[in-house]
Amino acid sequence: MTFWRKYSFVGLISARSNLAYFGDVVSRVLFLGVVLYIFLRLWKVTYAETAVQTLGGLTITQMLWYLTVTESITLSAPRVAQVVDEDVRTGSLATQLVRPLSYPLYRLWTTLGERLVRFFMNVSVGSLIAWILVGALPVSAVGLLIFVLALPLAFVLDFWANFLIGLGAFWLEDTSGLLLLYSRITMILGGMLIPLELFPRAMQPVLRALPFSSMVYGPAHLLVLPSLNELIELVLRQGTAIVVIVLFVGIVYRTALRRVYANGG
Amino acid sequence: MKPAVKLASLHKTFILKQGKGFRRTQAEVVAVADVSFVIPEGQSVAFIGPNGAGKSTTIKMLTGILHPTAGEAHVLGFTPWRERSKLAYHIGAVFGQRSQLWYHLPPRDTFELLARVYNLDKRDYVKRRDMLIERFGLSSFLSTQVRKLSLGQRMRAEIAASLLHRPKVLFLDEPTIGLDVVARQELRDLVREWNREDGLTVFLTSHDAGDIESVARRVIVINHGRVVLDDKVSTMRRQYLGSKVLSVKFNELPARIDISGVAVLKASGYALKLEVDTQVIAIEKVINVVLKAGPVADITIEDPPLEEVIAHIYSQGAGSSFAADLEEELNTA
Repeated sequence: MTFWRKYSFVGLISARSNLAYFGDVVSRVLFLGVVLYIFLRLWKVTYAETAVQTLGGLTITQMLWYLTVTESITLSAPRVAQVVDEDVRTGSLATQLVRPLSYPLYRLWTTLGERLVRFFMNVSVGSLIAWILVGALPVSAVGLLIFVLALPLAFVLDFWANFLIGLGAFWLEDTSGLLLLYSRITMILGGMLIPLELFPRAMQPVLRALPFSSMVYGPAHLLVLPSLNELIELVLRQGTAIVVIVLFVGIVYRTALRRVYANGG
Repeated sequence: MKPAVKLASLHKTFILKQGKGFRRTQAEVVAVADVSFVIPEGQSVAFIGPNGAGKSTTIKMLTGILHPTAGEAHVLGFTPWRERSKLAYHIGAVFGQRSQLWYHLPPRDTFELLARVYNLDKRDYVKRRDMLIERFGLSSFLSTQVRKLSLGQRMRAEIAASLLHRPKVLFLDEPTIGLDVVARQELRDLVREWNREDGLTVFLTSHDAGDIESVARRVIVINHGRVVLDDKVSTMRRQYLGSKVLSVKFNELPARIDISGVAVLKASGYALKLEVDTQVIAIEKVINVVLKAGPVADITIEDPPLEEVIAHIYSQGAGSSFAADLEEELNTA
C-alpha cells in the first residue's frame, strides 16, 4: 500500500512537472503535423499506384491513424537512457541512493508520469491532424479500451530497455551509439513506418516475436483493428519480455552498484 | 552521550586500471586508510580535506552507498552499507551542487513527495512542514517554481526539505558553494541553530573556512585518506600554527626588526606586518622590540586566518609520522 502511495506520487509529480515544458510540446506537435502530412501523401500515391483498397489489411484512413499512434508513441519517449547515463557520470546516482527509494523504480515512475503527459498530448493533436486529413476512424468504446490496455506494458518495456542502455555508462565512454541503435531498430522493426503485414512474409513471425513490435506496432494495430485475442497475445508477449529484461537489469544493476565509487568520488 | 557516528579502522581501496590492451596494469589506490573517529549525538563536525583526500568516499560509506574494503562503521547503530534503506529514514543529506527539489515545480510539491517517500503521517507532516516554513522563512516562495528561485532561497528550501523526516544526522556537502555573503551567513546561522537547539548532529564538508568556523565545533582533517587532525576548531586555530600576526603602524619610519622567530610579512613605509612564531619567541618580547623600533601609533595582534591554518595542514602531507609530530606539537603547545 505505502509502496503504491510512494511511487504513484512520484509518477504524478513527474507528470505535473512535465506540463511545464510547454515549448517542448509545441515543437513536437509541429513535427508530428509535418510527418503525418508527408506520410499521407506517400501512402496516397502507394494506394493509387497499386490500385487496391487495402494494404496489409488497412484502408488509407486506418493506415494514417495507425501512423498517428506509432508516431505518438515514438515521439513520447522520455530521455531515460540519457538521464540514467547522466546520473551515473555526474554521481547524482549517489544522492538518489541516500533516500529510502529504489532508484530503478523511481526512474520507472518518473518516466511513466512523463510519458503519459507526452503521449496524451501527441495523440490528441495527432488525432486532430489525422481527422482533418482523412476523417474520423470508426472505433467503438471497446476498441478504444483494448487500445488503452495495450499501452502501459509497452511503455514499461521501453523504459527497462532504455534503463539498461543508460546503465551502460558504468562501462562505456558513451552510450549514445547504443541508444541510437536501439531507437532506430524500434522504429524500423517495431513497425513505426510500416505495419508488420507489409514486411516480407518470412520476416513477419520473427518481427512479431521480437519485443520491438510489442511496443509500437502492437498497440497501434489494436486501435485500427481491435481484437481481444490479439490484445491477450500482445500483453503476454509484453509481460514475458519485461520479465526477461528485468531479470537482466537486476544483474547488471547489482554489478553496477558495486562500481558507483568510480564516478564523482 | 550516545555516539551518532562511529568509525573503526575504516579502509577503502580502489582498483585503478591504467593503459590499454596487453599493457593494461592494475594499481591499488588507497582512498581511505584506517580512519577512526566517534561523533557523539548532537555534535557539529567539519570534515575537511583537499580535493581527492577521501572525504566523499568516507561520506559515501557512511550513507551506505559504498562498501568499505575493511573496518567498521555505525551510524545511529546501523551498519550503513548493510542497512542502507533503514538508515535512510534517519539521516538527511544536502549536496550543494545537486538539487533534490524538482526544478519545474514549487518546493511545496517536492515537500509533499518527500512526505510520501519517507512514509510520514499526514498530520505530523503538515505540522513539521509549517514549522520548517516558518523557521527557514520559506513562505514567500513556497509556491514559486524552483527554477525561478535565487540560489540562496533554493538552498534554504533544500535544507528544510532534508529535515522534513526528522533526521538525527544531517550530512552537508559543500552547502554554501556559490552563495553570496548574506545568503551564506543565513544558511550557517540556520544550521547552527538546528544543531544547538534541536540537537541535530551535523556532518559538514566544506572548503570555506567561514562555514567551518561558524557551524562546527570540531574539525576533522583528512588528507591522503588519513585523519591528520581531529580537534576543536578553536584549538586548531590557536595552537596548530603556533603563530600570531602582528600589525603595527608607526608615526615615524621604524628601525629594522631582525630577530629569530619573527618574519616580516609586509613592510610599507610606516606600516609593518609580522608573523611571530610563538614557539621560538614569546609575543611580549616581540612587542618590546617593536616598541623600541619607533613611536607606535597602533598595534593589533591576530591569529592567522583559518584558511592559512588549513592550507598549512594540507601542505604537511600525510603519514603516521606526521600524526605523531602533530601529537607531540599539540602536547608541547
